[in-house]
Amino acid sequence: MSKPKRKSGVFVTPGDRLGVIEEFSPGPGTYVRQGTIYAKITGRSLIDLLNKEVSVYPVIRTAVVPRTGSIVIGQVAQTQNQTANISITKIGKRALNGEFTGVLHISDASPVYQESMFDVCKTGDIVRAKVVSEANRTFHLSTALDRMLGVIYAFCSNCGHMLQWRRTKMRCPNCGRIENRKVASDYGKGEI
Amino acid sequence: MPAKAQEKQKLIDKEGKRIDGRNPDELRPIKIEVGVLSNADGSAYIEQGKCKILAGVYGPRETHPKHLALPDRALLQCRYHMAPFSVEERKSPAPSRREIELSKVIREALEPAVFLEYYPRTSIDLFIEVLQADGGTRGAAITMASLALADAGIPMKDLVVACAAGKVEGKLVLDLSDAEDKLGEADLPVAYMPTIDAVTLLQMDGNLTLEEFEQTVNMALNGCKQIYKIQKEALKAKYVALKEVAEE
Repeated sequence: MSKPKRKSGVFVTPGDRLGVIEEFSPGPGTYVRQGTIYAKITGRSLIDLLNKEVSVYPVIRTAVVPRTGSIVIGQVAQTQNQTANISITKIGKRALNGEFTGVLHISDASPVYQESMFDVCKTGDIVRAKVVSEANRTFHLSTALDRMLGVIYAFCSNCGHMLQWRRTKMRCPNCGRIENRKVASDYGKGEI
Repeated sequence: MPAKAQEKQKLIDKEGKRIDGRNPDELRPIKIEVGVLSNADGSAYIEQGKCKILAGVYGPRETHPKHLALPDRALLQCRYHMAPFSVEERKSPAPSRREIELSKVIREALEPAVFLEYYPRTSIDLFIEVLQADGGTRGAAITMASLALADAGIPMKDLVVACAAGKVEGKLVLDLSDAEDKLGEADLPVAYMPTIDAVTLLQMDGNLTLEEFEQTVNMALNGCKQIYKIQKEALKAKYVALKEVAEE
């Protein structure tokens, strides 16, 4: 269609020609069809003359789904003895419109041995976790890999008050109940 | 209006102008806006002549019910719906046979343009609401739905643009209105990806000779190329608006 654009910072829409594979290697936001590089998202073209790469820098928000390795935030929907279902509402810094369901198994919950999932998290808690696998059509999560992972907001299973973190245990300021959690290092401060 | 009274009304006058004053190869005035809905991931609105259509895109998100999810690509779900007040006589809001078919046809016109394989097991939901109908709604819907998908940040091979052409009182015309569609001899909507040069939808209603068919298709494709420019401008306009907000 239009003449190929050889300048960085040009506004492009899906389907715009960016060049041919003889002159550039296709970077993010582009695709190759019959030897020609096209834009696949709306954004600004970015030509890296050093590495001979052309890419598209998005100007609108891009579609996101959980991928292996992404850090997600979600709410515990259900806890069983060995697993917890977590409805993921945030991927990285991006809040989702809907939710994805992830599964946290007790073997991935903590770097130390845990007897029961109820010592890791309980229904209603807000958890930060990492996606470790997408096998079997489910997002397998882990809270064991990092100190930043784990429960960031926990609620008393007796009265529903937000629990206070007291070194190793969690204490309810309302009813004095003591509970266990696998707590993230920024408990109570994390952004949801 | 009784049939006899309508027959008297000429669709093309002596000077070759159509009932709305257009030349045979002239499009209706088109106005497209992108990103009109704040709750949807992507949205667009089109006014093509008297047609007014709104579309919202959600996703990629988890498929519900889960058994519909595809293991290797995203599921594109499309709902074309006409508002009860969109036509002269109230239309039942329940999805009619025609609407279900149009949903399928629009989905299949858009599917080749979207990189569905990037989002396995998810669904991309597209909702098209016709607020006012005046012929050529499927074309306008496809044109705008592809913009809504692009606005949602979903990677696409190209924007899909659609336009109809047909035959009215023996003359080939572009972008039929409702009256021309109903009283004319033939209507032929085409959806097209201009950069890839691929047709994704081709339908015909009525009768055309082989020669006329070829001319009509080319006419519709030319119409598509004109709309494609407007489409790109609409995407750009949203970006410029975003930039202004950021600078303030």
